[in-house]
Amino acid sequence: MNRGQANDEKTTDSEPTDETAATDRGDSQSMTGDLSADGYEHTREQAVDEDGDIVDSALVGDELELSYPTTEETIVDCERLDIPEGEVTALVGPNGSGKSTLLKALSNHLEPEEGVVKLRGDELQSFGQKELARELGVLSQENDPVGSITVEDLVYYGRYPHRGFFDGVSQADQEAVDRAIDLAGVNHLRNTELGQLSGGQKQLAWIAMVLAQDTDILLLDEPTTFLDLHHQFRVLETVRQLNEQKDVTVAIILHDISQAARFADYLIALHDGVLYDWGPPEEIVTEQLLADVFGVEASVQYDPELQILPKRALSERQR
Amino acid sequence: MAGSNSVETQSVVHDREGWVTKPLVLFCLTSTLITMAAGFIQVSFGSFSMTFLEVAQAVTEPTILFNLDTWSGFLFGTELPEMERGELIVWSIRLPRVFVAIIAGATLAISGAIFQAVTRNELASPFILGVSAGAGFAVLATLVVFSGLTGFLPLIAALGGTVAFLVVYVIAWKNGTSPVRLVLAGVIVNMIFQSLQQGLFFFADDLGVVQTAISWLTGSLTGTGWPEVRIAILPAILAIVIALAGSRQLNLLLLGERTARSLGMRIELVRFALSAVAILAASVAISIAGIVSFFGLVVPHIVRNTIGGDYRQLMIGCLFAGPALMVTADVGARLALGTQMPVGVVTGLLGGPYFLYLMRKQRSMGEL
Repeated sequence: MNRGQANDEKTTDSEPTDETAATDRGDSQSMTGDLSADGYEHTREQAVDEDGDIVDSALVGDELELSYPTTEETIVDCERLDIPEGEVTALVGPNGSGKSTLLKALSNHLEPEEGVVKLRGDELQSFGQKELARELGVLSQENDPVGSITVEDLVYYGRYPHRGFFDGVSQADQEAVDRAIDLAGVNHLRNTELGQLSGGQKQLAWIAMVLAQDTDILLLDEPTTFLDLHHQFRVLETVRQLNEQKDVTVAIILHDISQAARFADYLIALHDGVLYDWGPPEEIVTEQLLADVFGVEASVQYDPELQILPKRALSERQR
Repeated sequence: MAGSNSVETQSVVHDREGWVTKPLVLFCLTSTLITMAAGFIQVSFGSFSMTFLEVAQAVTEPTILFNLDTWSGFLFGTELPEMERGELIVWSIRLPRVFVAIIAGATLAISGAIFQAVTRNELASPFILGVSAGAGFAVLATLVVFSGLTGFLPLIAALGGTVAFLVVYVIAWKNGTSPVRLVLAGVIVNMIFQSLQQGLFFFADDLGVVQTAISWLTGSLTGTGWPEVRIAILPAILAIVIALAGSRQLNLLLLGERTARSLGMRIELVRFALSAVAILAASVAISIAGIVSFFGLVVPHIVRNTIGGDYRQLMIGCLFAGPALMVTADVGARLALGTQMPVGVVTGLLGGPYFLYLMRKQRSMGEL
């Protein structure tokens, strides 16, 4: 199934690492050490797209085996996972395929049973908690109900990782909050209490909070699932805007494969905790994928733009 | 927005304005007035009755107020200088009881507020997490079995509360804790300690011991004075200062565990540290007043309903409302019924119904 978009590379750094195991996944191609132009050392494999261009990964999951402390079974087993720098990557897959679990591991909310997650080459565990929160913003699928604080107050909490224990609100904090509120388009709700907002407005408020965190990487767990169409687009447009204007790397779980295919630069398709395929939507979205991963019969149109028309559910036998 | 300087000050002002609101200031002022009024009544009435004028004179007597010797007598237990009879009653018997009530009220309220945020549960209080039952058991065991240690009763109470809380924490711990697990473990540990307490009563051989024990277990300010103030004042101030400093962390905890963690909070550490502060505060109250029921549960609710749920405000509110309600309740306990009741009876009788009223009024109860 792997069509070669996720070929792994091993840089010829003098220091041998134990990550060579992953290089047998595709046509390896030796890279010379001239990659440090962008400032960090590449002591890890590179994801390469079809033209052989290197895809810089903001987050890399290596030999990941994930399970929850309360259960025995492995929920996600994934040799290698890339979240490319400066791109929007959508994680798709049916319910229970391990998308959220994977996202939890990527955001250090779940410690992998096996394997490591690296943020620009450094293991997540090596970051201090606040340090990590300045690099990586996370929005959970559902947030605990918080009633009595205003949107503005909530967004200010996004500045927590930037503030010391006794620090007051700095000018930078204020600017970041204004920017985030603006970007999420919740300016008119600024002084409204969260309890009085609709589901969509609430989600936008939470997004504004994550935006105020001012991170280079955003991990969003189904931010659109419970929203009406209008708010779905609002959220996605906000994310896209952020990506284009500030070069923020985004990993987003989307429930709707059609939406994901239209919206994302890269797709990661998960099935039963295993990475089924990885790459730009035009290349990996096929009728076969929809049948294998989602269990639906669908027709896929590539021209003029990628369109997925789901038709019916396939029974277990047909899959 | 002319220069960076003015912007700087403006932003600081914003932070201040953000939470020192008019309702908060009004609430604190009202609470202070209630505390003073109730304190005044408490000081005026009793078997040695005085007129309000006499009391006012005694309380503001400059030779006492501005005399280092008297204060060293009060606070360090050195010998007191000569005083008139009325002044002596006011200053060495009735006023210190008011001060003890103020300390116990403030610490209990703050302790309850912290526990409610840490567990994200409106029903949490210093006592649901085992602190009360542990302290009660320790007190009873001391009175009945190790009667030689009676002098260290406050310390032993605090120790018992801490041990019980640690047991609760250990039981609740499974790759981290959750509010629900904490509360459940607390309820169970509570039940076990209460059974132990009831068992111990059968070993008590004289009625005096039983009465002392009961007054501890219901919470009473009868007979408290400067020695109690001396024991409690420093740990109380410490707990209050840390609690106020941590109010922003509490706010963040209220956003939920996941959010707090992704915002970079070391959640287990913060939760444990703040719980420790809450135990310290509760222990202070228990060691001077015994187990005053419902107080730590209800006061944060009253404050929350009046000025809102922002913990920076809530903590300040509790700091003022706690003393006001405790002093008032103690007036009721001492003067209303002709005979002295434990203050815990009054708080239980008033706090319980108030809590039921809240339950009826609010749609959802439980999660904050």
